[in-house]
Amino acid sequence: MKRIAKRTMTLVSLGAMIGLSACGGASGDNVSATQAEMGTLDPANPITVAFYSYSLAYPTMKPGMEQLIKEFNETIGKEKGVIVEGVPDATMQQYKADISAGKAVDIVQHPFGTLDSSRISLGFKAYEDTFPQEELERHLEGISPNALELGKIDGKMYGLAFTFSTPIVFINGKLFKEAGLNPEQPPETWEEIKAASLQIKEKTGKDGFGLAPSNGWITEGLILSNGGQVLSDDRKEARFAGPESTEAISMWKDLYQNGASAVGTEAELSEQFMAGNLGMYASSTALHSGAKQAADAGGWKLYGAGMPRFADQEAVPVNSGSVLAVRPDSSNKNAAVWEFIKFVTGDRGYTIITSQVGYLPLRTGLADDPNGLKDFVEQNPLYKINLEQLKKIKPVAIWPGDNATEIATLFTDAIVKAITSEDDVADTLTKAQDAINGMIQ
Amino acid sequence: MSKTMEELYSPLVKGKQKAAARNWNSSKLWRKLKPYLYLLPAAILLGIWMYKPLIHTFYLAFHKWSMVPGTDKLFVGFDNFTRLLQNEAFAGAIGNTVFYTLGLLPFSIAIPLVLAVVTNQMNPRMKNFYRALFFIPMILAPVSVSAIWRWLFHPSNGIVNHLLLKLGFVQEQIAFFSDASWAKWIILLITGWKMLGFSTIMFAAALTGINREYYEAGAIDGAGSFRQFLYITVPLMSPMILFMLTMSLLFSSQWTFAYIDILTTGGPYGTSTNIYYEMYRFAFSNLNVGVSSAAAMLFFVLFGLIALSLNAVSRRFAFYDN
Repeated sequence: MKRIAKRTMTLVSLGAMIGLSACGGASGDNVSATQAEMGTLDPANPITVAFYSYSLAYPTMKPGMEQLIKEFNETIGKEKGVIVEGVPDATMQQYKADISAGKAVDIVQHPFGTLDSSRISLGFKAYEDTFPQEELERHLEGISPNALELGKIDGKMYGLAFTFSTPIVFINGKLFKEAGLNPEQPPETWEEIKAASLQIKEKTGKDGFGLAPSNGWITEGLILSNGGQVLSDDRKEARFAGPESTEAISMWKDLYQNGASAVGTEAELSEQFMAGNLGMYASSTALHSGAKQAADAGGWKLYGAGMPRFADQEAVPVNSGSVLAVRPDSSNKNAAVWEFIKFVTGDRGYTIITSQVGYLPLRTGLADDPNGLKDFVEQNPLYKINLEQLKKIKPVAIWPGDNATEIATLFTDAIVKAITSEDDVADTLTKAQDAINGMIQ
Repeated sequence: MSKTMEELYSPLVKGKQKAAARNWNSSKLWRKLKPYLYLLPAAILLGIWMYKPLIHTFYLAFHKWSMVPGTDKLFVGFDNFTRLLQNEAFAGAIGNTVFYTLGLLPFSIAIPLVLAVVTNQMNPRMKNFYRALFFIPMILAPVSVSAIWRWLFHPSNGIVNHLLLKLGFVQEQIAFFSDASWAKWIILLITGWKMLGFSTIMFAAALTGINREYYEAGAIDGAGSFRQFLYITVPLMSPMILFMLTMSLLFSSQWTFAYIDILTTGGPYGTSTNIYYEMYRFAFSNLNVGVSSAAAMLFFVLFGLIALSLNAVSRRFAFYDN
């Protein structure tokens, strides 16, 4: 019996070893070294480029993003020999998993906060190392310089600003009027937001204002607007537990816990607003097309306001959205990827992105261009608010190093806890700040 | 001459003997080898899908690696384990794992046992109708189930809040998925509701195996239906009850995974996460497969011990009506 058991073990381990050797070969391929030179493209043998995009996964953004890819494939792609395949990536995890599995992931619509982490661990490349200098400079002309700065780490561009928005307060004109407020003159400070919100609640019975505690980015704008800091300029120290930040978050906690704010997740708040049950909703312009459709369907008019300020201080809007991060693995791929990037961040690309999806045209000249977005912006005056904010925009924190995702989670969790629980704001923020600084150093 | 004769003669005999021995040896070898050959396909599959990943996880637990092909794995010794044990989110996740594991027991043992016994006494048509009703949630896709529960519990548009407000139970809407005091209870409720049918069907199957004569004898001796349940049904179902107990304890964390991921992503501030979801986040969100593997190793040992002790309990308490 013992002998049989022993032999079985031998066999099992033999089986395991066969398995080991069989699976060992899968992780052999390598991430190639950087190549700044561009290969050639051949229309007869088109190169396939994989483009991972979260916009492709959301109903309000999907048609616009699909049109962008389709138009490229049918025009420049066909002419030069590039086929772009879009991969929807709702939670921004798919590209990580696919890179881990050794698949070709060439272009990623990448969020700002974790760009440094991806640069270090996922093999994303700097634009300066991938594309020829003069081509790059020529293409970047006309794009808002503030926006270009945002994807730079240590002086090199690891992401080209792509879909982009600043905070906006969407307003339900019908609820505003029912409450005796004028949507043409929306609240400008946080005190006015609170007063208006309570008035809407009292007069209409519906929630007056909503900002999801887990939103992550408008939070940073809130802290910066009150003179606080999130991350030090050299990105080596988290600083979001200072008195200004604490004051800003305490103000929000007061809104949240004293009846002046709707409760729920980001998705729940946007659904509430689109169902016509929320007076004001602070979010991203990316939701514009969805909000406008909901307003038309529900028979109310959509208004908007910029990011509110604290008393006499100027509001500091931050950016939300994404950059295009690239990791082509050959010189021919470089050329193919570059063609797509030129198209989507060019005049035609931004015209589609703004009019079909809702993000801002980073080629700001398009807003005055009759062939571009002049008509669209006139019909949708909300965009003027955002284009105006673009001039004073500050970047969201790009968290340093390997632990960026963990740090971003710690930061968001601390904010959510400070706002929604009974815990002391200063204590909660300080604890999270210490934990983050422990990870950075 | 005789020598020659012998030489001529003996090799033949020797050859015969050798051939016979060889035949005997090979048939003996074949006989001995045969069972292993039958086992081989299963052993290879187990090796590839179980033992290889297990050994690999053990190896990765001592390395820092982002899982990107072509990048190096850095040996870090016990760093991943110390990091893990210092991680507050991990401690919270362990607490929640215990919460979900214990919280699911009523849904996997107590309620299904009652449902199985009650439906067993109905006429066959109603019995099938009710059992189908209990079982349907089990075969629904977790994503669609989550979507429906999310609508029901929506803070402003959902029917649950609407009713609670109308009936005056609450003054303000409850954000079930973003309120720390509610989120994990909702996840537990949904998982329990989904799993109810599975246990009910298993218990119902076990019930049909109980000899009716015991109940008749019990009834003659004056035992009421509650006593019959307690002294006849429960002991005779003990093997199935212990089996479901083991399943529930070992798999409750996996069953909650989908709802955590879809409904709360572990939030608000990590209050509804569990150990499997944290492991997933360590590996595929933070891209730190080392820490994830270290957690997996710890829980492999822990769940191994739980399984062994349940095995012992089962041997001690299960009653088989042979």
